[in-house]
Amino acid sequence: MAEPSKTKGTIKFVVWTAIAAALISYLWIEYYNGTLVSWYYYKAKSDGWAVNANAFKDAGKDKPAVLQIGSFETIEGLQAVPVKKGDRLPANTNGIIDKKTVEEGKRVTLDGNTLKVTVPMQVKEAKGFKFKDTFKHKGIQTSEWGGAWCVAFILVLGFALGMMAEGFTDMCGLKLTKIKHYEGVH
Amino acid sequence: MFDFIIAGIQAPIFLLVLTGMTVGMVGGFIGVGGGYMVTPALIVFGFPGYMASGIDVTHIAGKSVVATIRHRQLGNIDWVLGLAMVGGTMMGVEMGVRLLNYTKSIGLSGIALLTGSVGIMVGLFLYTQIETHRAQKKIQELAREGKTVGRELSTSNIPKFFQSISLFPIIRCHVARIVISMWVVVLVGIATGVLAGFFGVGGGFIRVPALVYVVGATTHIAVGTDLLEIVVSGGYGALRHFASGNVDIMAVFFMIIGAMFGAQFGSIATSYVRGPAIRYILSYSLILATVGAFLRLVYMLSAQKYEFLNFFAVVFTLGEMIFLCLFILSLVYFAVRHRHGKWVPAWIPSLVVVP
Repeated sequence: MAEPSKTKGTIKFVVWTAIAAALISYLWIEYYNGTLVSWYYYKAKSDGWAVNANAFKDAGKDKPAVLQIGSFETIEGLQAVPVKKGDRLPANTNGIIDKKTVEEGKRVTLDGNTLKVTVPMQVKEAKGFKFKDTFKHKGIQTSEWGGAWCVAFILVLGFALGMMAEGFTDMCGLKLTKIKHYEGVH
Repeated sequence: MFDFIIAGIQAPIFLLVLTGMTVGMVGGFIGVGGGYMVTPALIVFGFPGYMASGIDVTHIAGKSVVATIRHRQLGNIDWVLGLAMVGGTMMGVEMGVRLLNYTKSIGLSGIALLTGSVGIMVGLFLYTQIETHRAQKKIQELAREGKTVGRELSTSNIPKFFQSISLFPIIRCHVARIVISMWVVVLVGIATGVLAGFFGVGGGFIRVPALVYVVGATTHIAVGTDLLEIVVSGGYGALRHFASGNVDIMAVFFMIIGAMFGAQFGSIATSYVRGPAIRYILSYSLILATVGAFLRLVYMLSAQKYEFLNFFAVVFTLGEMIFLCLFILSLVYFAVRHRHGKWVPAWIPSLVVVP
């Protein structure tokens, strides 16, 4: 028969593994069904046009991408939806082309019922790092409650994984004892 | 390659798990979040700069929970000390962020940040090295005299001064065996928080030495208590980053999976060594990070003319993670050999513990 501490360790390991597995499954499902993504691309932070920047990442001055403006519920390909600050974003949005950029006319121009994108990406620098500045993530506001939920989730996941690991070492008979900090000369 | 929908990039899972594991090991051992190592790594993997720091801070919060659980089991956490310090740290972080915004507004931020961090890190490195070397020598002397040497030995007299300040309220930290004015603890929290907020890091590499050399905790307790602090301050930082849209939760998840293994090993490894061993690794991590920051400073001061400096800064930072992991692994390896009475280098017995 197993020692009581090993039996306890096994129970601890099994219970916390099940909890960790449930949490990971939840994360996986919610990430891929779009819930977590929609919390991320939640509201417009500025006036402009909601777009999916992946659709025109290869555009250039010689081959501009032409986005059709309309009130689509889901953005598919070369489409843009006019939004005002604070509006909920249509599904599949991953950035905003703000009014200022269009007014400047250096990267995007308004042509009737279409937006013509000529510079989808430019190289910028911050904190000594060069990075590609695209329309992705631009002008978007995440859901505050969604953010709080995600942080709570990460902390709970960390707790479950920590307890699972503790259960594992107990189960293997490697139960760690408290360090004696004050023995001997110090 | 994994498709990170929120970040909008594809990156290899293996590298994220490996980064989480190495930083988890170092963090679990010396009680730091390791933000200064992770952010450049994530940028190299293709994450945008702003998202790299968001993912980094969030994974640090999760990873610190894993490490804190293990340190709790080892008796390395003083809850009273940790909770007394948290308030000061949060206040300090806010002050640091405002200071950073001010330096940004006068166009100084990049250079001020790097010059400041290089100065502080070199100062901490030198003090930790000198003090730890002295402590190691004393351990060797005591061992020669046939005395049983404790797990901790610090030769710094600074904590005595701070513990003698009798400003009400006085707190009793039973695990750390410290009686100290709460104001000292709060002020240490504020000071380390300001530096953390200003430099945009978790602040563990400043707080662990502060807990040892100012408050007077043993190194093991400083490590465990600091990780508890990082759970709170990292959680708060993660919340701010989520609100700013800087986090892809799936990247955080993969890093935490790696960190789970690394943090376990790092935390358990502390039970094989004496305090000075942890302080040595902390000081090496400081100086290696400083070299990376210094290369970047020269790159920025040279009007970003010499691209190779930036490249070497990144390579150095990534190399540092591997070096520190190897150092910790070798310490544990020699500690096990020493326990079995096998040959070990002459400097090992004073750094490891034989039960």
